[in-house]
Amino acid sequence: MQNALVTIIAACSILIGAYSYWKSKKLSRDIVASETELKSRMYELSILKELGDKIGYSLNVQKIVDVITGSLNQFIDYSTVSYMLVDPAKIVFKADLQSSVSRQFVDDIKNRMRDSLSALLDKKLDTIPVEEALTGAMLKESNEPVRSFFNIPLVIGGNVVGVLTVAHIKPGLYHEEEMTILYKIVNQASQAVTQLEEVVKTEEGKLNAMVESMGDGIVMTDKDYRVAVVNPAAKFIIGLPNKNDVTIFDFIDHLEGKFDIRGKLEESITLGKIFSADEVAIGGGFFQILVAPVKGSHGTIKGETVAGVVIFHDVTKERQVEKMRDQFTSMIVHELRSPLGNMKKIGEIMKEESIRQDKKAYDEYVQMFSQSSSDMLDIVNDLLDVAKLEAGKFEVSKRKANIKEIIEDRIKFFDTTSRSAKIELAGVFGREIPVDVLLDPLRISQVLSNLISNAIKFSRPGGRVFVQAFMHRNGQDLEREAAEAGISWFKDTENKLPNDYADTLVIAITDTGEGISKENRGKLFNKFEQFGSGNRVDKPKGTGLGLVIVKGIIEAHGGTIGMVSEEEIGSTFYFTIKS
Amino acid sequence: MAKKILIIDDDKIFAKILKDGLTQSASKHEVSVAHDGEEGLEKVKQDRPDLIVLDMMMPKIGGIEFLKKIKLFNITPQIPVIISSQLVDVEKISESVELGIKGYIVKSDFSLENIIKQIESILNKEH
Repeated sequence: MQNALVTIIAACSILIGAYSYWKSKKLSRDIVASETELKSRMYELSILKELGDKIGYSLNVQKIVDVITGSLNQFIDYSTVSYMLVDPAKIVFKADLQSSVSRQFVDDIKNRMRDSLSALLDKKLDTIPVEEALTGAMLKESNEPVRSFFNIPLVIGGNVVGVLTVAHIKPGLYHEEEMTILYKIVNQASQAVTQLEEVVKTEEGKLNAMVESMGDGIVMTDKDYRVAVVNPAAKFIIGLPNKNDVTIFDFIDHLEGKFDIRGKLEESITLGKIFSADEVAIGGGFFQILVAPVKGSHGTIKGETVAGVVIFHDVTKERQVEKMRDQFTSMIVHELRSPLGNMKKIGEIMKEESIRQDKKAYDEYVQMFSQSSSDMLDIVNDLLDVAKLEAGKFEVSKRKANIKEIIEDRIKFFDTTSRSAKIELAGVFGREIPVDVLLDPLRISQVLSNLISNAIKFSRPGGRVFVQAFMHRNGQDLEREAAEAGISWFKDTENKLPNDYADTLVIAITDTGEGISKENRGKLFNKFEQFGSGNRVDKPKGTGLGLVIVKGIIEAHGGTIGMVSEEEIGSTFYFTIKS
Repeated sequence: MAKKILIIDDDKIFAKILKDGLTQSASKHEVSVAHDGEEGLEKVKQDRPDLIVLDMMMPKIGGIEFLKKIKLFNITPQIPVIISSQLVDVEKISESVELGIKGYIVKSDFSLENIIKQIESILNKEH
């Protein structure tokens, strides 16, 4: 009985002991396992970080795989780690020998890798030459075959670009589940590259779109002057908008020796010089041309000249504006010199004793002198007004004024002029026009004077000029309202009359003159664009600044100005004033 | 000796001053005035002047166009023409020299006396 008890106790002890042992063994195994896992996680993190740092923004897959294989021995036991990449023209095979293996061993993994790549790509690779590089331990004579082997495909942007392999002379080493870390690393790297590639592609797309849409002509050539990039603007400049394979010779031909594009590119590429030409006349336009070397920004070509770029910047418009400005200046000089020169000559004449005795002639010269000085004053005032308008310092001082009286006063003022030109001048007033309107009476008189004198000037004897005032109601047809208020305006197919004005007072000056040609209508209110109309070929009378100032005055009142015209029939100039 | 002179200028004050100056000068020239190129062409045909004082910038027919017209239609091309302009416009000067002008005066730079002297000297040379 005691024996039996001892036996039971012993058995229990053994069991407990065994259990404890098993338990402790399991515990220690768990600790080891979690330690291993921790280690691998740490490693995983560190290698991923290292990878991230080393890869940086590199798109070079080989470099990235080099980084991966270089760090792998800390984690996986292997005889060789190798990778194989497919470059369309060749296969790159690189193996790092951790311990010495035989040539057959290397050839074996090489063949296995090529086979698996061939299967992955579904493509025969036998004919493509293999570029081999071995690093690490030396090859040795040995019969040890490949006993463990593990292959991971390298996928970038959904495409297989190569395989990564670890191999060992010991058997049974690599199992799928143990290789997760390797998968993770490879995945992480390929994802990074894929994303980078996308970024680069997007940027490249943006860059291309930019180059394509640029107004400047751009052509880039490599060191052998082969055209690498040419945008539509550049093709347009050389008159070959639809040619696909534009060459440097197309540029040479079209530039007709006006610009030595080939020579300047050569200078730029070989000497790294930037060259610019200010104004080259090409096909009716003027261009600034810039030739510059293109340097590599990173990698082995960093700082090295890899190409040359030529930029054609169109300055035709600037030249036109410049020319217009010059014309404007000489026109102003002309207009100022006429009265000044005349005043000088009148002074000269009036110094003579004889003229003072001829009362009639003397009075005539005094009158001419006063006319010349007031002509000059008008021009100077116009110039000052335009200067103020351009500086944004043009101001009007509004007060309540009777618009009907202002119009009637102007009609009276031009009575003599219109009579002597045999032109009927009359005011036409709508029923609803307000008595008092907030405006600058002097400036609005100036506007009316300008428009009325233009209307008389451009009308033939027997013609008529009407100054009309009426109320416009929002949404109503301006033309119909004008007709209802007594005067039909001209049908103008080019200038569509707006009817979206808020309720406003409209003042219109309608003449039965020569009208304004379509092309000149747009230039009317432009400072530099003076033009001679039909019968004034060489010289528009005066500075032509009148309408520029008129527009400025109306806009300073918060109104708008417009015009409709029919050639040979007449024109209507109208403006709005908030009532 | 009194000559027939035609002034073509849209600047009425200048035309009047020059006309007075020429008619009252020692030679007592006979002066007519046109205010644009079109009127000028008419008067050339009508009056057959001995000399023309021609403005460059004018309405209807400008100075250069006027010169081209008298050359093209062979309207008394032997009449000496003096250009009177406010500007020293090299392009227009050379163009008008090619069209056979005899002189170029910058109106505001020359005194009336000077302009009359210039006209007299050309009249003397030509006739």
